[in-house]
Amino acid sequence: MKKIVGALAVVAGLLGLLTGAQAAEPLNVYSIWPENYARPMFEEFEKASGIKVNFLRFSSGEALARVIAEKGNPRVDVLFGGPVETFAAGIKEGIFEPYKSPSFDKLPARFKHADGQWTAIADDPLVFMTNTAFLKAHNLQPPASWDDLLNPAYKNMLQMADARTSGTAVTRIFSVLEVNKRDEDKAFAYLKKLRQNVQVYTKSGGGGTLPVGLGQAGGGIFFIVDALETREKGYDITISLPKEGIGAAAEAIALIKGAKHPVEAKKLIDFATSAAMQSKLSQHKIGFVPANPDVKTDPAVAAVLKGANIIPIDDAYAGANRKRIVDKWVKEVLPAQ
Amino acid sequence: MGEGSPAGAVSLVKSRFLTTGRGIAGDPALLVTVAVLWALLALFVLFPLVELIQRAFVDEGHVTLAPLAAVLSDENHRSSFFNSLFLAASVGVLGTALGFLFALTSVRGGLGRHWLTCLDAAALLPLVSPPFTTSISIIFSFGPKGFISHDLLGFTNVSPYGYWSTALAETLTYFPIAYLTLRPILAAIDPNLEEMASSLGGSRWRIFRTVTLPLAVPGFANAFLLLFAASLADFATPLILAGNSFPVLPTQAYLQITGMFDFKGGAVLSLVLLVPAAAVFLLQRYWVGRRVYVTVTGKVGQRSRSRALAPWVAWLLTAGCFLVAALIVYFYALLLWASLVRAFGANNSFTLNHYRVIFTEGLPAIRDTLIIAAIGMPLGGLYGVLVGYLIARRRFPGQRAMELVAMINYALPGTIVGIGYLIAFNDPPVALTGGVLIIIACYIFRYSPTGIRATVALLQQIDRSIEEASSSLGAGSGETFRRVTLPLIAPAFFAGLGVVFIRSMTAISATIFLVSISWTLITVRILENMTELALGPAAAFSVFVIVVVFVVVAILSAVLARLRAPAAGAAARSFLGG
Repeated sequence: MKKIVGALAVVAGLLGLLTGAQAAEPLNVYSIWPENYARPMFEEFEKASGIKVNFLRFSSGEALARVIAEKGNPRVDVLFGGPVETFAAGIKEGIFEPYKSPSFDKLPARFKHADGQWTAIADDPLVFMTNTAFLKAHNLQPPASWDDLLNPAYKNMLQMADARTSGTAVTRIFSVLEVNKRDEDKAFAYLKKLRQNVQVYTKSGGGGTLPVGLGQAGGGIFFIVDALETREKGYDITISLPKEGIGAAAEAIALIKGAKHPVEAKKLIDFATSAAMQSKLSQHKIGFVPANPDVKTDPAVAAVLKGANIIPIDDAYAGANRKRIVDKWVKEVLPAQ
Repeated sequence: MGEGSPAGAVSLVKSRFLTTGRGIAGDPALLVTVAVLWALLALFVLFPLVELIQRAFVDEGHVTLAPLAAVLSDENHRSSFFNSLFLAASVGVLGTALGFLFALTSVRGGLGRHWLTCLDAAALLPLVSPPFTTSISIIFSFGPKGFISHDLLGFTNVSPYGYWSTALAETLTYFPIAYLTLRPILAAIDPNLEEMASSLGGSRWRIFRTVTLPLAVPGFANAFLLLFAASLADFATPLILAGNSFPVLPTQAYLQITGMFDFKGGAVLSLVLLVPAAAVFLLQRYWVGRRVYVTVTGKVGQRSRSRALAPWVAWLLTAGCFLVAALIVYFYALLLWASLVRAFGANNSFTLNHYRVIFTEGLPAIRDTLIIAAIGMPLGGLYGVLVGYLIARRRFPGQRAMELVAMINYALPGTIVGIGYLIAFNDPPVALTGGVLIIIACYIFRYSPTGIRATVALLQQIDRSIEEASSSLGAGSGETFRRVTLPLIAPAFFAGLGVVFIRSMTAISATIFLVSISWTLITVRILENMTELALGPAAAFSVFVIVVVFVVVAILSAVLARLRAPAAGAAARSFLGG
């Protein structure tokens, strides 16, 4: 028995060591951008600065929830990417440390928080993405109006994201609100009608892109970056935009309050908001619209957006109403069948 | 040593005195071990549960049932609750039927050794892989453009989301549990019994109905309850397959917490699951569990080759089994294919790029998972045999309570355990979130109970007198345990080890709440990749996990076979069945 007690003591000691370990590590980041967009950017940053980025990807709702939960003892230094209303909601929770990068003054007003709580690194309009073969088989034109998506031909064939986890979904809902002049009754009446055509709401914003690409779903509403990535991979999809207008979310970056590596974190924010990073987007075929006015939009992205009626999402309005609207969506739209 | 002889009686009295008479006070090693175990159980089992209940029902110092009332009055949540029960019952029935089919074929079908091995391998595949791997194949096979529903059968408007696909995926994933539960029971039914009935003039069908089936009934109940519990705890399959028209509780609780940061709502939702989970566990353990052993204890006489099945029936059963096995193999082949092509369905040129991705970018997840599994494995194995030994062989106050408490995390759905850990260990006094200990502890206390049960089962078959001999020769309890008992229960140790390892590689429902920037897990990466655009890496990760687990299971099986201890086979079974 003595040996067992001894073994237990050793085990306890070992476990103690393990909890204390993992101290000296590189810059820690929660990325809302999917890995395949974020990783090349962090690699460019490491090349430029020599600072290694350790990151974990979450959908925006999950990332926000984690940062809030860890407020007392922040485990990351930077929240990277993700639609601005996520950040606006975060300000209310007091999780960010204001910081203005050298590019700050250059940016248009909608790409920055006045106090520097967050700064935009890209703009990301939503688009309608449809499977080309599906359109042909059903004799459909690419949807050019929000009402086109209510066509019974799409019954059970649309996929889009779940507002509980995905920022794409929240931007989509706020788009519908803006198109309906913020008349919630009208907007929710539309969303409930749209629900009838939705096959499934996915956890991540890009979750439906592969099914649409494969024809498992006919179409959906996605960020342009995910739609272009799907096309880039070789899936035959059609991208179109509604004439009434569609929302665009500024993709932001923010310094976490109480960050353990503030110097390195600020360097990442400087890099991400500058032309140094955003000019690499096009090179890596990542279809965001750069936020920094010094960087030209990739021609392929610009071609899709030509003549588009893009409605910037008002971050103050969206941030103030995010939780209430998402709750309402969960209660009223999700079960409407 | 005849018990009638005076010497025997004396030694019996003496040994009784040594093993049971000497109380906990007279054995400091026992006292310390029990105290340490209780401390660990209190910290990692009771504390999180209490915190969870408190979070759900205590508001600013007042006990309130308002959150519970809110959940129960919300129609969505109510339907999620009934959906969960309905799904679990369906999976229980379908899985038990499928498991019985496999068990009957394997025991009475007259298949050759090699065919049986093939069948077993296919049946075990879903049990040793990450739980949602079949889900993704089902989406590609049964969607509007699915390979089976559209390309093969010509349907154009089927949805791969909802009750049926979820039930199918869970049935295929969990039926091996029923198979492993029912096979030994059928094998233990003496063919002579059927033979006798036959010579008395009973038809094959009548014998099957009146002899074989009734003997297997407790096994059915047991298998049903195990599957019911497994389905009730599964959150990943519904997350991918259930869609929005068939919400289930574990998934709702997950979305409530991770997406909406509603700890209270998530805690309440997960606690609602507690009621059916506890009911099923208690039924399985204290009612059905006992009955199973009764039927197995019959003495088996000279085996006669069973003629219980007509040749055409045996042939039909075998065909059915191989059809199911083929479906499983097809699902996994699809996954393998997805891991080896550039863009699934669009660009089918061969590439190893996804594997390159998981071994470069995905390396931290692989490394973390293997470290966690490697640490958790021996600790879990040790904990399992220690608790099992104390329960089966020693007497101390609170023994029954310890047995029950040790089982709690095993019996609860992973979502409850994960959320409980997250709430309990997020803030001081015991802030563990973000570290590795919380994940390891979660695995040990959640999956070692299989090791505990295996140890207890083994020790019940080993005569106490062996250890008593050691004590009466003057060995202390520690030495007796180490030199006599430990070698005897080695199979249980390896079984416990195996379960902890397999679950460390494949489980997600509890640990998805516990991953952090420093410690992440392959399963969580797979889920993240699957719900994003990255099917290739998700498939490659899954293939990697399956290969690693199969290799480790093969090694452990070889070790178990070598030990040749009594009931090593039973331990090997429990190792996957748990």
